[in-house]
Amino acid sequence: MADGPLRGVRILDLTHVWAGPLATRFLADLGAETVKIESPMGRGPRDYPVNEVAYGWLGSDPGDEPWNRNAIFVKQQRNKQSVAIDLKTDAGKETFLGLVREADVVIENFHSVTMPKLGLSYDVLSTENPSIIYVAMPGYGLEGPYSQRVAFGPAVEAMSGLSDVMGYGPDEPRNTAMALMDPVAAVSAAAGVVTALRRRRKTGKGAFIEMSLHDAAVSFCGAWLVDRQLGNPLERLANGHPEMAPHGVYPSAGEDQWIAIACRDDGEWRALCSVVPGLDPDADFATRQRDRSEIDALISRWTACRDKQTAAGALQVVGIPAGPVNATPDMLSDPQSRERGFFVPIEAGPTPMPGNPMKMKGLSSADWTPCPKLGADNAAVLKGWLDYSDDQVAELERAGVIVDRPPR
Amino acid sequence: MDRVLEIGGFAAGYCGRMFVQAGCEVVRVAAASLAPSEHSSEALDVYLHAGKRRVQTDDLKIIGELADRADVVVAETPTAQGVRDLGFDDWRAPVKAAITPFGRTGPKRNWSATPGTLLAMGGYTYLMGDEDRAPLTLPGHYAEFQSGGFAYIAANASRLAGEENVIDVGMFESVMALSQFTTVMWTCAGEIRSRHGSDFVYVSPSNLYRCADGWVYINITLHFWDALATAVDRPELVVDPRFETNADRIANREALHEILAEAFAPMSTSEVLARATEHRFPCGELKTFDEVLRDPHLAERDFWQQVESAHGRLASPRIGWRMGGTSPRPAVLSVQEQQGG
Repeated sequence: MADGPLRGVRILDLTHVWAGPLATRFLADLGAETVKIESPMGRGPRDYPVNEVAYGWLGSDPGDEPWNRNAIFVKQQRNKQSVAIDLKTDAGKETFLGLVREADVVIENFHSVTMPKLGLSYDVLSTENPSIIYVAMPGYGLEGPYSQRVAFGPAVEAMSGLSDVMGYGPDEPRNTAMALMDPVAAVSAAAGVVTALRRRRKTGKGAFIEMSLHDAAVSFCGAWLVDRQLGNPLERLANGHPEMAPHGVYPSAGEDQWIAIACRDDGEWRALCSVVPGLDPDADFATRQRDRSEIDALISRWTACRDKQTAAGALQVVGIPAGPVNATPDMLSDPQSRERGFFVPIEAGPTPMPGNPMKMKGLSSADWTPCPKLGADNAAVLKGWLDYSDDQVAELERAGVIVDRPPR
Repeated sequence: MDRVLEIGGFAAGYCGRMFVQAGCEVVRVAAASLAPSEHSSEALDVYLHAGKRRVQTDDLKIIGELADRADVVVAETPTAQGVRDLGFDDWRAPVKAAITPFGRTGPKRNWSATPGTLLAMGGYTYLMGDEDRAPLTLPGHYAEFQSGGFAYIAANASRLAGEENVIDVGMFESVMALSQFTTVMWTCAGEIRSRHGSDFVYVSPSNLYRCADGWVYINITLHFWDALATAVDRPELVVDPRFETNADRIANREALHEILAEAFAPMSTSEVLARATEHRFPCGELKTFDEVLRDPHLAERDFWQQVESAHGRLASPRIGWRMGGTSPRPAVLSVQEQQGG
């Protein structure tokens, strides 16, 4: 478990997929004692369909316990503990409510009806622990005309307005196809948690936090929404920019290799002209926007025969914002990420995982712990938080209320 | 609550916005000129800076005095050297966060950057756009805003612990930290994630489809395939060997897109959405920003915050989370005029 400023904060993490687990990963990286409350089948069945995993296994090997080695799952779970508990049983609920009494935060991203159906609504949890901070992350919120829709990040992105400016041209909108609004919601949820913790420190009050993926997505697009009220036109400019010219993504040497280049002002344009032949250093911004196609063609001619890293370095020397369009191998080998130790080989394999972008005194990945196995911390957490005896833990195991592998 | 000093551009501005929404007193020191943006300065004032007091000065002595009296300082500069030049290391605020493109250390700490180059280096750009065309960048200030969010989280964690701390947030790392399965797909499966227009790399069909009056996005992960086929009155697709499994659908994604494009083309977006709700699969209509402003769902949820500005009262989105059924923010904020040093 990581050490950090959130040490002593106890989080019960019932999240799944991406936005929720990513939010709790940030908090766990900062030292929060984060216990993942998992359904016995939450990581898949005992006879895991090993051929259907597209994103890989740790060490490229599903091993004897494939449910513990799915790389995309593992990626979000470092520095957490795992308690696998059947919340559909009375004993499971009772045990979970015991943990709630000892916790500071409960966070989940189920559909809005799931926790109430389990008899574990905020009203129930806050009766057990009035100071609990409960974070719900329903896709479209708990109320409103869309609240019953099925929400996934890419569909929510379309509804945020972003596609109004994202795409190749007026009739060619595009979706990022990256579930972009999940990480937006994740950062927002983690911010909500620390805000509520500080508020509780001051007032003694717990809180119910509603963190809708759709709200977060629209909120993130706020400046465009204000611009529209001001009557300012918006258009899809592909890789162009209304205030920077040139601004684009240009081909570089190799198959599907690219470099991003921008000039923010006339000075950077003149610097670009000193490197790329054929450009007119006297061209002002309006001229550069007007002649964008011709300028992009000249830049492309220069970049196309150069390695993207080398070209970016050459442009940076004269002060031009330029960066290679990186794929994962590029990011892993980037001198900047290597020197700052950004990727951490914490998981089996060893598999380097993206680190914590919040660098601060006292934080180090040296004390990080890898993704726990399913139910690995059942006994430790129940004994440590609830003073359960060995017999009590064994009884829950015998009854199948807590498990350390998916049931058959 | 905290007294927060905010210095710099879009990342610091976003961080300061979060502090305002949490009820803190925020003073913004604005640079004489900001980096280019797709947004007008008026829109950024309303969206980012409502509720802040603002001072325009380059006087490092004044900035230092303000920093010494703050509980939290968030300073964003174009390079690591810029942080040092501000005098950041000498300020006595208990919690200080520096936001820079590449962080305060490392060989690229003083590289020049724009939102577009950061998204490129951070692995996002390579994944967006069509397979046979140049990758697309993401408009706006994603790298900056998310970095501002990280600075907010880290600063509040430090304040909660009662610790003095110096925080270093690099936008390049922020973007890389927000990768989905992109990195493990390479490290664990040996594959470089590829781009497929609006279609998700490993879940098909997940795409934008044109309808009679607009576009919809559907997102058919493993569990929703049968529901989609039924919803578009094409139940035979379920047993079509080309589309039986997700892997089959990926292998034949072009054929599948053609079939679905044909199915959706005569429908209205509202009809598709009604079918999606009935058959329970993820679907959203592509909205313009004007349509988002008129969205009945957001109106019913009391989503909009009112901001008094030189252009009258404007609607600005409240922050993503709400506590106890309401946002912690004040009902009406105002954009204050900048004051000289």
